[in-house]
Amino acid sequence: MFVAVSAAITFTFLLLPLAAIFLRVPVLDLIEQLGNDVARDALLVSLKTSAIAHAAVLLVGTPTAYLLARRRFRGRSLVVTLTEIPLVLPPAVAGIGLLAAFGRFGLLGDELDALGIQIGFTQLAVILAVAFVESPFYLRGAIAAFEAVDDNLIFAARTLGAGPWRVFLRIAVPLAAGGLGAASALALARGLGEFGATIIFAGSLQGVTQTLPLAIYAELDTDFDVALAISALFVVVGAAILIGLKAFTWARFDSTSPSRLAPSTSR
Amino acid sequence: MRALATLFAVVALSLSLPSATGAGGNLTVFTAASLTEVFPKIDPSPRYSFAGSDQLALQIRQGAPADVYAAASPKHPQLLYQDGLVTKPITFATNKLVVLVPRSNPRHIDSVYDLRRSGVKVVIGDRGVPIGAYTRQLLDALGITDAVVRNVVSEETDVKGIVSKVALGEADAGFVYVTDSKPVASRVRRIQLPNWAQPSIRYQISIVSSTPRKVGARAFIRKVTSKRGRTLLLRAGFGVPKKR
Repeated sequence: MFVAVSAAITFTFLLLPLAAIFLRVPVLDLIEQLGNDVARDALLVSLKTSAIAHAAVLLVGTPTAYLLARRRFRGRSLVVTLTEIPLVLPPAVAGIGLLAAFGRFGLLGDELDALGIQIGFTQLAVILAVAFVESPFYLRGAIAAFEAVDDNLIFAARTLGAGPWRVFLRIAVPLAAGGLGAASALALARGLGEFGATIIFAGSLQGVTQTLPLAIYAELDTDFDVALAISALFVVVGAAILIGLKAFTWARFDSTSPSRLAPSTSR
Repeated sequence: MRALATLFAVVALSLSLPSATGAGGNLTVFTAASLTEVFPKIDPSPRYSFAGSDQLALQIRQGAPADVYAAASPKHPQLLYQDGLVTKPITFATNKLVVLVPRSNPRHIDSVYDLRRSGVKVVIGDRGVPIGAYTRQLLDALGITDAVVRNVVSEETDVKGIVSKVALGEADAGFVYVTDSKPVASRVRRIQLPNWAQPSIRYQISIVSSTPRKVGARAFIRKVTSKRGRTLLLRAGFGVPKKR
């Protein structure tokens, strides 16, 4: 009984606010808001910056996670813990940190200036902020996914003459695909929702640095209904990405690993 | 099940009550964030809730237990007054806009007209918030809206965002209230704006109609409009209206 009530409370608590967004904005109005300048620009900025940041996180994060998961070296757990610190920090701290590092008067300010690179108030600033807050989510999931891969399969591939890069690409990544996909979806969603670090580090300008969450905040002062509509749009986009990525990884996971590489399930 | 429901109800009540019971004899003053420094100096005894004037107005409409409402513009006090939720608002302070530049002033900005030069990074308020609306009024009056807006790199949703980006040197200039520049005076320079172009920025105060503490609320407003209150407001950089 207690369990059932707890479950009911949990679901109601988590879903009621989301349902309320859709109940306050008729679906037709929601679609109409796609034509709203602020909403459309914010959607484009969000999709562009998130896509670039996410691609960079996957490209660099996957090998890093593999290394941290498979290699045993002194100070490994310290390194893993350090990469997880941003996970437990408020995004505002991330924004301050990025300013202190890459701002005009930050640690690397003079060097970047000498190279003619200006980061503040550009989409590059948004991308850095998004990548910074989402990468620990990906790394954490990806490390766990690689750790779950059966050592024997890796050793077998090595014994049969595959190089480390080939083992990584052809054995480890496909075997860890389910976990990597889940981590990727979580990180992408977190990146899309990034707010605090972006508003501090990149500012907010329509069509340039104003992402969906920043647009919601800006419209809150102007028109609550527009803010609601963008929120609804956000829920749809976020849910679509999550479901899409999960469906993709489930399909992959089912078709490859259990059938062709059964040992990993017998572990 | 019933025990759980009771527990839940008790917890919910205990979390929602203090605002009603805790107020006991103490006055609760809802006031614009820009008065954070000066109001406690005028009277330290009330409980203050500092936030954006819009948010506070919304809370009062939803029955928040406020006794006095002090806003950074006449808009919300007048709307609340029309709906009978507050008494007739009176103007107790005025404010002005200034241009803030970093102390180092890398772009050598000496007047507001320098903000038209290409490449100057200007930060202003979003058009939805009062500071953003006032800034656009001022730029329109000066006839330099297009040239300056072209240089805008960020439209912030509150004054703090503008002040911090200039104080940190990330932006070359920003438009803020003169009173906001005081706390960061060591890191910024102020550039005055022509008086004739200044928008009228008036702070209004009124008593929430439903308050059971009318006497205390009236006494508070008297303190704000007293000689001492006016002196403290002036010292904080505000203007005060002529004695009525």
